[in-house]
Amino acid sequence: MNFKKLLVVLLCLPLTVLADAEAGREKAQICAACHGIDGNSISPQYPNLSGQTARYIYLQLKDFKRGRRNDPLMSPMAANLSKQDMNDLADWYASQTYNGQNSKKIDADLGKGKKLADAALCTMCHAGGFTGQNEIPRLAGQHYEYLIKQLKDFKVKHRTNDAGNMTAVVRTIPDEDLEDIAAYISTQQ
Amino acid sequence: MTSFKLGLMAGTAALAVLGSSALAQEVTGGNTDTTQAMSSNLRAVSQARLDGADTEKTDWLQVNGGYSQKRYFPSSQINSSNVHQLKTSFIFQTAVLESMETAPLVVDGVMYITTSYNHIHAIDAVSGKEFWHYKHAMGPVTVYCCGPNNRGVAALDGKVFMATLDAKLVALDAKTGGKIWETQIADPELGYSETMAPVAVDGKILIGTNGGEYGIRGFVKAYDANSGKLAWTFHTIPERGHEGVWATHDSTGRDMHRNIAAEKKMLSKRGGDFYQTLGGGVWMSPAVDQDTDTVFFVVGNPSPDLYGDIRPGDNLYTNSMVAIDLNTGSYKWHHQYIAHDVWDLDAVSPVILTEAKDKSGKMRKVAIHGGKTGHVYVHDRATGELVRFSDAMVPQDDMWVLPTAEGTRMLPGANGGVEWSPMAVNEDLGLAYAANLHQPMTYHVEAAEYPGGDKLWLGGAFKVIPGEASWGRLSAVDINSGKIAWEADTDQPLMGGVLATAGNLVFTGEGNGSFNAYDATTGAKLWSFQAGAGVNAPAVSYMVNGKQYIAVAAGGNNQLNFKRGNNVIVFELP
Repeated sequence: MNFKKLLVVLLCLPLTVLADAEAGREKAQICAACHGIDGNSISPQYPNLSGQTARYIYLQLKDFKRGRRNDPLMSPMAANLSKQDMNDLADWYASQTYNGQNSKKIDADLGKGKKLADAALCTMCHAGGFTGQNEIPRLAGQHYEYLIKQLKDFKVKHRTNDAGNMTAVVRTIPDEDLEDIAAYISTQQ
Repeated sequence: MTSFKLGLMAGTAALAVLGSSALAQEVTGGNTDTTQAMSSNLRAVSQARLDGADTEKTDWLQVNGGYSQKRYFPSSQINSSNVHQLKTSFIFQTAVLESMETAPLVVDGVMYITTSYNHIHAIDAVSGKEFWHYKHAMGPVTVYCCGPNNRGVAALDGKVFMATLDAKLVALDAKTGGKIWETQIADPELGYSETMAPVAVDGKILIGTNGGEYGIRGFVKAYDANSGKLAWTFHTIPERGHEGVWATHDSTGRDMHRNIAAEKKMLSKRGGDFYQTLGGGVWMSPAVDQDTDTVFFVVGNPSPDLYGDIRPGDNLYTNSMVAIDLNTGSYKWHHQYIAHDVWDLDAVSPVILTEAKDKSGKMRKVAIHGGKTGHVYVHDRATGELVRFSDAMVPQDDMWVLPTAEGTRMLPGANGGVEWSPMAVNEDLGLAYAANLHQPMTYHVEAAEYPGGDKLWLGGAFKVIPGEASWGRLSAVDINSGKIAWEADTDQPLMGGVLATAGNLVFTGEGNGSFNAYDATTGAKLWSFQAGAGVNAPAVSYMVNGKQYIAVAAGGNNQLNFKRGNNVIVFELP
């Protein structure tokens, strides 16, 4: 009796390890309309979050809440999140798998996009294959429309919550080149 | 009671099984698996053995050879006449397919290899069979620049020591890989991380820190090797006086175009409390002069890297060589190469202790450093006096033009010159060997206040210039004259470091997978091996049963995005 009961409890323990992500799934219901329940968003203006680094998601939610990053849809969503909520959501989306269905722009000069991305040393921070690391976001599998919007937002300082690093990178790159870069990145998986 | 115990045991076993499957990702493991009984030849690395490591003829006891860090192995069994016959002994594949910067230690025929994300493999240095595999249980938050690298372990008194990406120092049983103690060096949420190999000396473990890209306050710390207790801390940024002497020129006499008046005004406006976020990481293992109980290291860039307006002054001791007391950690001297750096052309490559002639021809004990600037700097070991600096090893252009928002071109690019890559010295030839990069870049500044420690804080960016070729150059520098004795160019920028041996040989690797041997006197390329992934780690050499081996990691590189691998390849003569 005791034995069985205890075993059941202990067998459940590993699930407790994943409790953050599980709790995140519950909390992500409200996010699903835009980002998809598994973080694979259907509308290309909303970023894919599946497989995104947990650290990045957490810091962005925190920035939306603090007003360091602004978006008419996201800012109110983040306003009432607790630190636990943000970590749970971050763990949930980080544990999900990219489904390969992001919006890709293939009618651009992808070769030029790669050369420009190499010159800008993108992977020095975003890591090889654009897989991201720590607070630096994963870009592989991201929608083209979202990518180009972010690059342009950094350029004109509509987005400034990265301590200016990205603004410095894109400031001197013409918009049409940014489109080739975003197109190239959108084809990375 | 009995049933409780039974239940606990069964439950724990089940937990272990489920736990291991749930935590199968490489970076989240935590246990040590002993796969094979440790070699009975393995003895503890005593302090006496470390004392002799610089002239050690059998083992490779420290990542850079010995406390002088000359990376010179005194065997000539493999030499410039027979190196063309070198063949692989074995290839060891680690558990982690990511950037490798490790220099293996070899102790009594046992090799200790570290990987990205802080794994250690202990293997047989002749057969390649694994004895144990340690996976560090990484904390939830890591923040680091330039890849999840690790550059190796230190060994002392039956333990091996590794510093981790989540800014911990761990001590393991050298025989089993079992953890003996672990201590938190600094807070990873504030940008502190560890990739360097510690140095074990006189019962202490010396360790620096990364984080100059996140607004840390850098340091070198000493921990008790037995207990993990902190012995002393030397802060690379002093609380008072970091504004220095308002130097207008660099060590080589070039005008740095500082606006001293504006800086002084800013200092009086802001005060000097920004010392807490002024950077000054120490990326590479210190050298130790045991005759004088002195620890030598170089200090990295100020934070933020390219935006200097909000950190007025010389930003001491960033971009400097620093000497401190081994027993107390107290300051002895410093020499700053670039005051108020806004190019990230900082000091990284580890200090080497050797001897060189001064201008009057008298031999002096010196400490040398290969800079990102492309110069090898030679200092008097006792005073820090700059005895000489070498001719430029790579093209320099428009130094020191200030970064702008639109970007200004200056050579060298921000990776150097000599990046973290350790140099090697052949004292018989009086030559230092440096692995250089040539990467033309534009420097861009962007105003940015401290973002809190958990975000990259460059204050701008540097970018490669499309259409301008990048390449590498292995340079042999006569440290007695500062002249370039020879140079060997490579297709790709060099990052990884150099090994010199008494066989008149120099070894270094390339990002395209080539691992090369050169004639130490002439620079002629004598042998090359295709490793299949970037060879971006410093090679080592050792003897087992009277036979010489060369070992090098081929794991590619995160910073330059060279092809990743997970191999350590060992070579021998037929």
